[in-house]
Amino acid sequence: MSSSGSSPAVRRLELIVVAVVAVLLIVVLPLLNAQGLISNFTLSLWGKYLCYALLAISVDLLWGYTGLLSLGQALFFTLGGYMHGMYLMRMIGELGQYKKPIPDFLVFLGWERLPAFWEPFSSFPFALAMVFLVPGLLAYVFGFLAFRSRIKGVYFSILTQALTYAASIMFFRNNLLLGGNNGFTDFKFILGHSLADPATSRALYIASAVTLLLAYLFCRWLSRTKFGLVQQAIRDGENRVLFSGYATMHFKLFIFVVAALIAAVGGALYTPQVGIINPGEMQADKSLEAVVWVAVGGRGTLLGPILGAISINALKSWATRAYPDLWLIILGGLFILVVLFLPGGLVSIPARLKALWKKLRREPEPPPASSTQPAQPVSAKS
Amino acid sequence: MNFLARLIRWLLPLLLAAGTAARAADTPREVIARAALAEDSATQRQLIGSLMGRGDDAIAPLFEAWRTDQLFIYAAPDGTKVPVQLTGPKDEAGTQAALRIDTGAALTGPSGPLRLNAADLTAVEHTAALRRAMKAVLDLADLAAPDPAKRVLAIQTIGLTQDVEKLPALQARTPLETDARAKAVLREAVALIQLKDEKNETRIAALTALKELHSLSTSDAIKRTLKEAEEARNLPVAAAAREALRAVENHRSFVDFFGTLFRGISLGSILLVAALGLAITFGLMRVINMAHGEMIAVGAYTTYLVQNIFGTGITIPFFGFSLGIPGLNFSGGVYQSYFLAALPCSFIAAALVGIGLERSVIRFLYRRPLESLLATWGVSLVLQQCFRLMFGANNVQVSSPVYLSGNWTVNDIIFGWNRVFVVGFAILIVFGMWLVLTKTSLGLLIRASMQNRTMASCMGVRTERVNMLTFGLGSGLAGLAGAFLSQIGNVGPSLGQGYIIDSFMVVVVGGVGSIGGTILSAFGIGGIDQVLQQYLPVIAPGLGWVPGIGGFLQNLAQDAAVFGKILVLAGIILFLQWRPAGLFVTRSRSLED
Amino acid sequence: MIKKITSLLGASALALGASLGSARAADTVKVGVLHSLSGTMAISETSLRDILLFTFDEINAKGGVLGKKIEPVVVDGASNWPLFAEKAKQLLEQDKVAVTFGCWTSVSRKSVLPVFEKNNGLLFYPVQYEGEEESQNVAYTAEAVNQQATPAVDYYLAEGKKKFYLLGSDYVYPQTTNLVLLEYLLSKGVKLENIGGGFRKDGSGKIISAGKYTPFGHTDYQQIVAEIKQFAASGDACVISTLNGDTNVPFFKEYAASGLTAEKCPVVSFSISEDEFRGLPAAQLVGQLGCWTYFQSINTPANKKFVSDFQAWLKKSNVPGLVKEGRVTCSPMVLSYVGVYLWKAAVEKAGSFDVDKVRAAWKSGISFDGPGGKVTTQKNMHLTKNVYIGETKADGQFKIVKSFNNVYGEPWLKGKFK
Repeated sequence: MSSSGSSPAVRRLELIVVAVVAVLLIVVLPLLNAQGLISNFTLSLWGKYLCYALLAISVDLLWGYTGLLSLGQALFFTLGGYMHGMYLMRMIGELGQYKKPIPDFLVFLGWERLPAFWEPFSSFPFALAMVFLVPGLLAYVFGFLAFRSRIKGVYFSILTQALTYAASIMFFRNNLLLGGNNGFTDFKFILGHSLADPATSRALYIASAVTLLLAYLFCRWLSRTKFGLVQQAIRDGENRVLFSGYATMHFKLFIFVVAALIAAVGGALYTPQVGIINPGEMQADKSLEAVVWVAVGGRGTLLGPILGAISINALKSWATRAYPDLWLIILGGLFILVVLFLPGGLVSIPARLKALWKKLRREPEPPPASSTQPAQPVSAKS
Repeated sequence: MNFLARLIRWLLPLLLAAGTAARAADTPREVIARAALAEDSATQRQLIGSLMGRGDDAIAPLFEAWRTDQLFIYAAPDGTKVPVQLTGPKDEAGTQAALRIDTGAALTGPSGPLRLNAADLTAVEHTAALRRAMKAVLDLADLAAPDPAKRVLAIQTIGLTQDVEKLPALQARTPLETDARAKAVLREAVALIQLKDEKNETRIAALTALKELHSLSTSDAIKRTLKEAEEARNLPVAAAAREALRAVENHRSFVDFFGTLFRGISLGSILLVAALGLAITFGLMRVINMAHGEMIAVGAYTTYLVQNIFGTGITIPFFGFSLGIPGLNFSGGVYQSYFLAALPCSFIAAALVGIGLERSVIRFLYRRPLESLLATWGVSLVLQQCFRLMFGANNVQVSSPVYLSGNWTVNDIIFGWNRVFVVGFAILIVFGMWLVLTKTSLGLLIRASMQNRTMASCMGVRTERVNMLTFGLGSGLAGLAGAFLSQIGNVGPSLGQGYIIDSFMVVVVGGVGSIGGTILSAFGIGGIDQVLQQYLPVIAPGLGWVPGIGGFLQNLAQDAAVFGKILVLAGIILFLQWRPAGLFVTRSRSLED
Repeated sequence: MIKKITSLLGASALALGASLGSARAADTVKVGVLHSLSGTMAISETSLRDILLFTFDEINAKGGVLGKKIEPVVVDGASNWPLFAEKAKQLLEQDKVAVTFGCWTSVSRKSVLPVFEKNNGLLFYPVQYEGEEESQNVAYTAEAVNQQATPAVDYYLAEGKKKFYLLGSDYVYPQTTNLVLLEYLLSKGVKLENIGGGFRKDGSGKIISAGKYTPFGHTDYQQIVAEIKQFAASGDACVISTLNGDTNVPFFKEYAASGLTAEKCPVVSFSISEDEFRGLPAAQLVGQLGCWTYFQSINTPANKKFVSDFQAWLKKSNVPGLVKEGRVTCSPMVLSYVGVYLWKAAVEKAGSFDVDKVRAAWKSGISFDGPGGKVTTQKNMHLTKNVYIGETKADGQFKIVKSFNNVYGEPWLKGKFK
């Protein structure tokens, strides 16, 4: 199912789909919005979905392509959001509740001057650098520790979960000076533009869509390089790769950091669009939810996670309004069904249907064994 | 009846005559009746206070009736209000004989004695302040109570008021006291009051006594005396006070140390009980059951159900249907024993849910552990929402039976019965599990199948069935844990979420597949957590030296509950660096597993 | 495949559009209800949705507001703060509601605040909160810290308590309340060493935070209770608790098991109302205190009518998912109820649904006789109301032991008591 293993025809089809959707999302939607045909609300909703799609891609890069199920990707997403949030907080200036030059929650904690580590965040380039640096560094250190002692499979998943859990407890504290439970909110300006202006929202939306396209193209390119092949080989049988003379640790570490960076950029774009970032976003279930998007969309593919993130969140927007009582049962049930009966996710449906169609046409002949399982998922070995 | 005790009771009013304001003409009964009718609580308190030192056997039972809502106001047909107490057995209509509070005689209507139903009357209300006033009255009377525990409490309360007027009563009691504990407390109370004395010798003698007694409750009073002495430059008293304080503080660190030890063991037991089920499903079967927490919740909700069945019954709505379960209407001791009945029920309920889960989902995923993680997470979401639909989003009330809601306090160290019970029970189920796994044929089959499913199957073991039973056993243990946790924390839809991460940590640190490791790591994590909670604030001021983040660390260490948890998690991550497979490694010849 | 994806995109966009843009009848006015009906906060917030629907029905039965029937638009914030912001946008930009009643947690209010300010909407916020905020787009019917915490301290001081232990969950409301209380206690002559729970200081030694804090969902209160027991050994101590809902159960179970009682060392909790009480072990809480601007046990005809009307409405209502048994009324519910009537009064005074005019009417000072007594709107968007202190009883109700009349709602309290 992975793109490197599919036929040229399918790959070409995928590219066409991507090109059309990209034009639709990057050009058509904003144009319609500028004409007033699509409301600001709908556009910002899509902006949010696209950020989630970036998070989903980062999960898939680890899980679908490298066999590392991280239950902590939301941590990197949120960290990216926090770093950008710090810049946005500085841009509020003296327009906060207290009309003081430092963020409200600091005034509230009795601070009169800005703590030293807040100072440089007044500069956008610095904040941007931190969006990459902080999550990247954390991923590097944690990944180094984990991969060096060859923690893998389930243990890796549980440890990443412990990491986010510890981090969320930490960020919930007011005395960390990052806003505690309330996090950052009430943003006013970004790069001198008012966030209340629809044009700013539109620009942020376009930035999200373009970033998503770039992330997609990067991953697509990566999966086709020799590096990508080793990466997938690690997924399918790490020991064999190890015995072939590859230092798998470096490969895994690299991909872990890259995935963290993609998630962080997603978070950084997410913060100004939804207008709040707080530690609730890094709790364990958020990471698990991102894994659900990937599983439902189709892991080991690049379109799958995007499709999954968008469709499940659209479903959520609708179901929390129509059936608030049943929403969790729908999500949980959907998930069990996908894991049990559709391991390839939504993107495998066309191939399944095609195989079914072939089987029906050839009904008089006994079908060959292989065609009954057309959508064999990526290796079950983890 | 103790003659001397009676004597004291009759002596007290004389001793305390100066401090009381009771109208001699009113009997205590009349005073209480008036208080019950009084509109505002200040008057009530004043009236109750006036009974201070009045020796009358009627006072204590009437106060007790008032405190427990057994005192009622009867509105007579002519509009007068009469405070009454209901006594005797209930008849078919639920009525009881009524006694007038003011006279103690039966309440009579036009046609002889009246019988009243408690449900028709309003109980006389009471506030904490009023109950305290009653307690003060009873305390003084209780100085001579036959029950030593009661005497101790009364003496302590009087001592802490440091009320010089009460000193004679205590001193009169001193030669009569026979109980060792009461004697010590009496000495402490006398010494406390003597701290207010004007003579230096008396105060120093009192401080020496307090030093020998080194009771925690005296620490504030000694500190106050020390401060006064220092301000007055009264050096001998200050020195004595300092020494007494040192003795108290030494005792405090002793209490803290052993208290922490016990709390560590108790928390460890809870972690162990919660993680044992996981040690089987995850440790032996390698199934990542994210719904483990919900199995715990199933056990807790079963306890809730059993409690209600023993009580008045319950109605459970579910998707528009409503299931009514009639109650058995037990009361007293039988009702209290609901918890013992709930233990096997919660095991069975959770085991059945577990078996259902294994048959419907998990058996397809034995070769795909990561996907079992995801599917069971889905199950956990569904189960949580089902709890909400069946029992409501609110937490439900699970009451603690009497035998689990007290404590032993030995040398100021608190041993809560529920905690002691959990520790005992943890030992019991670990032992039981060891028996099942090593001494029964089922245990043999389980171990064989878990070590090598294919090989066991080749040897004729029905691995499908063993899988099912093992998973049921693990889930049942989680259910048992739920029954216990209902005594300690809240029972609600998200109960399981609070324990799932901790449980996984315990199993991973212990070494997957090793029950011994699970035990060791549970107690290790529990102990470290409690030690950090206790001693982080103590060492907090000493963290200032760390360059750059010293102040930050000092503040962080003050939040010991939060920081302790973070440190434990960070410690676990680092620990796994050193021992990636946990404390105890189960060796295997296979390369990938 | 192309078709599939594009149609999916189109379909979901359409679905969103269609569900939002229902026809707007001329004789109704749309009113938003923004509470969590799922997720962790559903426990508390569902009750507020119920009382709001009840109030709308009550008003509609009497002819509505300015002759228009209220048409509620109920959305679910799902205990998810970004979702709160999204739903607020939806209410204001798509549904164009005249007013919104909603939010429970501080963070949900903070997350929707920019949306309301940007669109000049009006939000009625009914739950006790930390203050330090005064938005022109929020009507705070909630208790400010001086309408809950400081009266409780006054009560304790009058009772002769000398030592105060501050305990709370680690978030902004307990932190602020405790800081204000610290200043208040010191101003009342309580010594620093008699305030328990610990302090945190900044570089210059100034106290920036007071009290003991536990994370959300904390279950192990052994150490803290042991500490309180030592603190309370001298017999003149009390506890001021700002623990949030769930953690109260393990705390009070541990508290009772250690032998501490309301007589030895009472606990006043600011987060336990009649509604939360339904899930707490009542027997273990008897005699502990609560402090609110309303209790169900208030013995006035207005309150009795309110309670019985609500119960009657519950019986005959067919709102899906409505819990009908064992319902109680509590302060946040009454403040929601009062909020709707105050909004109605303001609209009628202004003669318009326009937010600016309604706000001006609010600021002019409107009074309403609610179930908890008279409330009056203030210039600073808060409310003057009565404060009651109650003792918990075994049946889950409160016995009122003290009341303070007409307490002015003051959001800015830090640095006020010196």
